Amino acid sequence: MTRFILRRLAGSGLVLLGLSLVTFALARVVPSNPAAIYIGPKARPEDIARVTQELGLDRPLPVQYLTYMGDMLTGNWGTSIGTKRPVLEEIFGRLPATLELIGAAMLLAVPLGILLGVLSARWQRRPPDLVVRVVSIVGVSIPAFWLGLLLQVVFFRTLGLLPLTGRVDADLRFTSPIVEVTGLYLVDTLLAGNWTALRDVAWHLVLPAVTLAAYPIGLIARMTRASMLEAIGQDYVRAARAAGIRESLITYRLALKNALIPVTTVVGLTLAYSLTGTFFVEVVFNWPGLGTFAVKGLLNLDYPVVMGITLFGAIAYVLINLAVDLAQSWLDPRTRLA
Amino acid sequence: MAVEVLRPVVDLPRAGILRRIRRAIMTDPLALAGVAVIVLLAALAVFGPWIAPYPEQGAGQSNVPARMLPPSLEHPFGTDGLGRDMLSRVIVGARPAVAVSLLVVGLAMLIGVPLGAIAGYRRGRLDALIMRVTDLFLAFPPLLLAMVIVAALGPGLEHAALALAISWWPWYARLARGTATSLRERSFVEAARSIGVGDLTILRRHVIPNLLTPILVQATIDIGTVILAAGSLAFLGLGASPPTPDWGLMVAEGRTYILDQWWLSAFPGSAIFVVVLAFNVVGDLLLDVLDPRGTR
Amino acid sequence: MTAPLLSVDDLAVRFVTPDGTTTGLDGVSLEVRRGEIVGLVGETGCGKTLTGLAILGLLPRSARVVRGSVRLDGDELLGLTADRLREVRGARVGMVFQNPASAFNPVFTIGSQMRYVLAAHERLPKAEAEQRIRETLAEAGLPEVERVLRAHPHQLSGGMLQRAMIASALLCRPQLLIADEPTTALDVTIEAQILRLIRRLQESRGFSVLFITHDLGVVRSVSDRVVVLYAGRVAETAPTADLFARPAHPYARGLMAAVPHASGRREALASIPGAVPPDVGTIEGCAFADRCPLVVDRCRAERPLLRELAVGHRAACHLADAGAIL
Repeated sequence: MTRFILRRLAGSGLVLLGLSLVTFALARVVPSNPAAIYIGPKARPEDIARVTQELGLDRPLPVQYLTYMGDMLTGNWGTSIGTKRPVLEEIFGRLPATLELIGAAMLLAVPLGILLGVLSARWQRRPPDLVVRVVSIVGVSIPAFWLGLLLQVVFFRTLGLLPLTGRVDADLRFTSPIVEVTGLYLVDTLLAGNWTALRDVAWHLVLPAVTLAAYPIGLIARMTRASMLEAIGQDYVRAARAAGIRESLITYRLALKNALIPVTTVVGLTLAYSLTGTFFVEVVFNWPGLGTFAVKGLLNLDYPVVMGITLFGAIAYVLINLAVDLAQSWLDPRTRLA
Repeated sequence: MAVEVLRPVVDLPRAGILRRIRRAIMTDPLALAGVAVIVLLAALAVFGPWIAPYPEQGAGQSNVPARMLPPSLEHPFGTDGLGRDMLSRVIVGARPAVAVSLLVVGLAMLIGVPLGAIAGYRRGRLDALIMRVTDLFLAFPPLLLAMVIVAALGPGLEHAALALAISWWPWYARLARGTATSLRERSFVEAARSIGVGDLTILRRHVIPNLLTPILVQATIDIGTVILAAGSLAFLGLGASPPTPDWGLMVAEGRTYILDQWWLSAFPGSAIFVVVLAFNVVGDLLLDVLDPRGTR
Repeated sequence: MTAPLLSVDDLAVRFVTPDGTTTGLDGVSLEVRRGEIVGLVGETGCGKTLTGLAILGLLPRSARVVRGSVRLDGDELLGLTADRLREVRGARVGMVFQNPASAFNPVFTIGSQMRYVLAAHERLPKAEAEQRIRETLAEAGLPEVERVLRAHPHQLSGGMLQRAMIASALLCRPQLLIADEPTTALDVTIEAQILRLIRRLQESRGFSVLFITHDLGVVRSVSDRVVVLYAGRVAETAPTADLFARPAHPYARGLMAAVPHASGRREALASIPGAVPPDVGTIEGCAFADRCPLVVDRCRAERPLLRELAVGHRAACHLADAGAIL
């Protein structure tokens, strides 16, 4: 098991090395004049010359790459042109807001998607199956940014049930302020017993989380249905039936455990989706997380921010894939020895 | 967003596949509706400017006196902040949507298919090298690479198309490689090799033509996903720029007014949704018919 | 004579597919008496596995029982509710399948799968349940009980898995064991061991066995009586020695001729020219008529019924009469 993890980690390291090459190329090789981009549209020639030297852009590319790698490894990811603060600091400052959103969405999507998929397979070609198939295909087809807007119209404007944007109500600062410990407001308010704030935070989280969860729910339900149907068709299910084991036990325990093996891959994929899916949701709901930060950086061509976000996203992606492999080997005894 | 992450490798089709597909579509009302939407989309993309009630407004001409009108008989989708008829904007928007998706899928195939075919046919080191490169491109969260490329190139429909193609080709390379690997062992390829036909000729004459069917099926299914991806980029401001009648851009432009003039975002967004839904429904059906296990 | 343990009477099964219906079983009748091993033989697709599945109501969704009866110890099994049927499966009838590697769930240990089987029918104190599982495994020739209990299926050999499968099927002490090609996926030496095991357990525990196989050599070595199926109909049934000595149905004779006497094993049954009819349900006469060397007009016009030729020896052939086989 340990060897398996080590080997996978080594593989991930190689991918990250390659990724650093790609991001380096995007930052230094693709733009015709990186220094000008670094400074911004109002760059004067002398500024460009100065920055070119400062950033070492006049040195050979391999040297530049090594410098870049060294900077990345020592946590020097550059300074945001927009906010004038270190990129890594910005990223970690906004990470909790995004983690809370993605976490809430996945906590909603994974159980619900699996449940829908199992029900659909259990009642194949009957009404529950049809309903689930429609729900899942709508889930994977609906543009998240548009779904978010629709939900705002319905739940804020028409029904007046839920807040429009943001993580907390602006007044909360004065009435019952949140003491940040983890930065995950749900956790912080819960630990502090700050029920007013907890309620407010939870209400703010509903619409963004549902919006972000739509695609994962659809995809997980589809995959669970397919792999449940495959599992139900296997010899061991027939053998379990022949042995008189209860149908519910066969479906919800014996077949399900097999079906979950491919589902973990899809859960990983949807998690990866939500890394960029959150960009759209955060923009729509004005969520103060990584997504809004990244989009602002992209639109203003804040290069240090763009590179930082790219590398950060790629690292997160690699870690998700690693987690999926580990989850699979844990679920599937046949790969456990590998 | 929503880059179709489940990419089942389409099996080589067998005889009578078209007939089976036609029968499957005819017996499934949902798929029939999907096909109808796709046909409608194609028609709008070609004839949009002649069908739209106010074609010049669809293309961007403003009509300020009639601004922000809610949906009515005259303007079924309402009008926007410049008084443009939203129905015309949505109809005229079909063309850029289709154009971008065809461009993306076409470019991605152009890069991916030869690389994948070579990798699968030659195997060995070249294969390893090509596949490591595709792995690298696939190691970014969906759309992130495309966003960064558009940001670097600057906004614009062509830049968005190029960026999407650059992040899309690895999927076709993988698909082509898988099929080419199985073709390699087939008798007609082995026969050609044994009589000394050169690798390039075999690739051109035998491998690539035979792997086009699964690729084209996948490409058809992908059109919807690409429309969604391009719309998503445009929504963030990383795609088409005004006054292009791009659906994603229209949703973004209407966002400010969403609470009062909901129709500005609602109709262009629903155009994306319906089209993507149609392609997914038809794609599911295609994969159902082509999937030998029949578990989907 | 006492009533048979299992009696299948005029069982007919049809497949319903989008392309129309075909016949799976066309009036199969057979009996298994107490303490007896009955071999059910025939070519692939003749309906032998279907018969086994139909007895326990395990038919695939596309298949329907259209008539007939299945009685176990006097109780009708066809038409039982799902719950009542579940009480029969595994408890009164155990079943062993062809491929032990796929009949066990790959992600659970053998031990936990056997616990599920036992718990489905008997509420025993934990220690007693564990005791029962261990004893049964040991009885099935798996002395390394602890290792087997903790193993996942991929960690055991095919032979060990089939022993575990047999133990699992016998866990609740059934009256009848249905073994569907239990040795086909195993190699020859293991096959012989498994056959001996089934014989031995049958003698010590006294249950009955319906042994489904395409292999005449296996049938000859394991069964007391044989039922020969052809195209979803019973062609002949007789005590094993009798059948091999004096096959009456031309199809059975063809089978015997196809088995080389020296080894008597794994020879193609289908060395008789011609092919099995696609849908026996549409045939008015004998299903074997088109391939039969002795065919006469009557064979095509009138379906031959099973007729008693000697004690316990019956054949469905117009031409097989008592005189011919003696």
